Amino acid sequence: MKGKIVKVEEINQGIKEIILKLFDRGIIDAVLSPHPLPNGESFAHLLIKDRGILTQTVPLPPIMPISGAKALRDLTRLGKIDFRLLAVMRPCELRATIELSKLNQIVLENISFLTLDCPGVVRIREYLNHPNQYARDDALRSTCLACVHFSFKNLPSDLHIGIGKGEIYLYPQNEKGREFLTGIDLSPTDDLSNWLEQIATTEKKRMAYREKLFQEIRNKTKGLEALDRYFELCINCHNCMRVCPICYCRQCFFENPDQTRIEAGGYLNLARKKKGIRFPTDRILFHLGRMSHMALSCIGCGNCGDGCPMEIPVGEIFSLIGAETQKMFDYQPGRDPTEPIPVLTYREDELHEYEDVNR
Amino acid sequence: MKAIRINQPFNESLRELLRSLLEKGKVGAVFALTRIGSGYSYTLITDPKLLDQITPIDPYMPVGGGKMLSRLTMIEPLTQPIAAVIRPCELRSLYELVKLEQANLDNLLIISLTCPGVRPIRGLATDRGETLRECCQICDRFIPEKSDLTLLCAGEDGNVSTILINTEQGERFLEGLPFDYVEAELKVPEGLKESRKKKRQETFSRLKPEDLGMEGLINIFGRCIGCHACGRACPICYCNLCYFDSEESESHPKELATDLELKGALRLPTNTIFYHLGRMIHVSLSCVGCGMCSDVCPVEIPVGTIFTRIAESGQKLFDYIPGRDLEEKLPTSTFKIEELKDLGEA
Amino acid sequence: MSDFLPRIVGFLCNWCSYAGADLAGVSRLKMPPALIPIRVMCSSRVDPLFVLRAFLGGADAVLIAGCHPGDCHYQSGNYYTRRRFALLQRIFQELGLEVDRLRLAWIAASEGVRFKKVVTEYTDRIKKLGPNPVKKEIFL
Repeated sequence: MKGKIVKVEEINQGIKEIILKLFDRGIIDAVLSPHPLPNGESFAHLLIKDRGILTQTVPLPPIMPISGAKALRDLTRLGKIDFRLLAVMRPCELRATIELSKLNQIVLENISFLTLDCPGVVRIREYLNHPNQYARDDALRSTCLACVHFSFKNLPSDLHIGIGKGEIYLYPQNEKGREFLTGIDLSPTDDLSNWLEQIATTEKKRMAYREKLFQEIRNKTKGLEALDRYFELCINCHNCMRVCPICYCRQCFFENPDQTRIEAGGYLNLARKKKGIRFPTDRILFHLGRMSHMALSCIGCGNCGDGCPMEIPVGEIFSLIGAETQKMFDYQPGRDPTEPIPVLTYREDELHEYEDVNR
Repeated sequence: MKAIRINQPFNESLRELLRSLLEKGKVGAVFALTRIGSGYSYTLITDPKLLDQITPIDPYMPVGGGKMLSRLTMIEPLTQPIAAVIRPCELRSLYELVKLEQANLDNLLIISLTCPGVRPIRGLATDRGETLRECCQICDRFIPEKSDLTLLCAGEDGNVSTILINTEQGERFLEGLPFDYVEAELKVPEGLKESRKKKRQETFSRLKPEDLGMEGLINIFGRCIGCHACGRACPICYCNLCYFDSEESESHPKELATDLELKGALRLPTNTIFYHLGRMIHVSLSCVGCGMCSDVCPVEIPVGTIFTRIAESGQKLFDYIPGRDLEEKLPTSTFKIEELKDLGEA
Repeated sequence: MSDFLPRIVGFLCNWCSYAGADLAGVSRLKMPPALIPIRVMCSSRVDPLFVLRAFLGGADAVLIAGCHPGDCHYQSGNYYTRRRFALLQRIFQELGLEVDRLRLAWIAASEGVRFKKVVTEYTDRIKKLGPNPVKKEIFL
């Protein structure tokens, strides 16, 4: 596998320099990248056209407060852009973007993707409360520690940058990526086996953690009672839905008035039948419902768990269900923009094992 | 004034009172905070046996009680009486929701308490000790004004419960129930109001206009991730589809491209500051300072403190106190012919 | 500084202030071309969010003009406008935002001269204040 190895003093600086080269050579008009806030306490995505501002950007921050997919949705929901944009993204952000494009929320035209190897992100409140002490494994999201899609494989980006010690690996994923590299005089002629080995090692580690985690979750959630306990601290704030890059509905099904407000007599009847009901109702229904709506597109980013004020490991169970349901259809979210979401297509001759035959 | 005394700690006394109301058929159901496992939830209970689980005085507010009662009573008034135990701010927000035509008070027996405050709900997941919500620390309206019954709670030693009877409805519901009547006065711990007022002043003194401005606002709200959880948790924010979630607030890429040209860079998603300022304009006149917003914020922005501070000045402008009086109209839904003379004529 | 032409977004009510603006035009009254007029049927149509959007969008100032109290075509619309504007102004004040960039003015249909006066004075005032710094703000 061929690419370009570039020695760097600091990873973000190195990546930034590649972006600046592409910008200076007029290969791209603007960049979408994470950027430090004026007071430096967090990061936000900036759409950048000014070179001075671009020199301050931080392509791979330690946290991901918002998925880059949401930023692209804000930009292109109502139409395509007319300038050449380079979107700098972590793999899960691009995969979410691809899913959203299948759901008519993002127009991919004129957008090129620069993806980066992702070492995982720190849980947001951990980072905000301890801004200098986060470089530990236990500060990372558990969904990140279980993520096997952290690099270039099955990722429809144009150029991917791998991360190593003191060096970065520029890997073109397609013709456009190759043109990017030759356009900045960095022809992909180096052998990347070293990097591939590093990825394989990390993959093994992540896969082991993933299987262990998924087994734990399976054990923890067998049956309704166990599920109830898993979500026992849930206050129905719906933050998990709000920060999820896939959940794009303006008015979530579980927040529409037909769902949330019924006649008082109806509530009282329900309370009589069950001797007592929670208020608000439909706590488990919300989670199971959201699962059934978006699990096929769940990329396992873990934004949901991070957004939960009660620290419920929402991302863990959603990743598990996501993985299991996607396996059923041999589907991988974000792998291919032309691959339709399984429930939006069908084959006449399939899934007979689910049909009520000979019962 | 007339009161009943139950020689039990607060939660147990309320259980006894509510059980009595339920068993004697005075109410068809009870609405109260309940501990379920290690979490809390409001519940609507019809079986007296389940009342053993309610924990109305526990210092947590998983969701606005006023907001929940609005869900219960908006489509139609209660078809039979229920007793609800809610805190003073929740009661005030309920009154505001009635004015906004989002709730109905018919058949509702309201039991409230002199409120010592609640802890941030996330304290159940990550222990923060006994620190109260910031909005509670600066709250000087912890005495309910419109409840039917009020439990004396703040500052009381907690071994005996005195429940004041404030209204004729309260008296009616208690008729025939086996409780001891006493004479009692509404009292709160010496100096509590003063210390709260002092903390309020101190907190607000760090949010003076000179400390804010656009730079200050970006400093405070910069790390906002646009999840809008604060709006969803707010008892006053009742819109099914918030303006800021709707297509109205979205921008066409051509507009954003123009902005990009002019500024050189543009934060995406847009409308971070717009959302908070807009929400301020929409709800501040009815803001009761409950602090649900701060509680649910995933990045711990002190939304409630800022909103309470701004709301106070907007409310002062119209001499309006949200939840004080059902007959007092929302300031922007009414007018006086002779007022605000200095506006418009210059 | 002297070649800074403020962009003032003006919400003008159809029956009074817009007509007054028309009269100013027909009478060939001269005034700086700073105002961007937006006709609304009544000043009470102006949602404070419009004002906020204009302000955050980079308008140097926002003017809401309606009928004099008592003369509203819809009886009482402008009384509500007055209240809403007072609230908006107070919120701006408390947040330390430049409250001078918001203005409410009563201008009748016959007051072409008053329209010219308001626009000229306000443009002068905003010229001295300078461009809205929010225009450069990236992290909104």
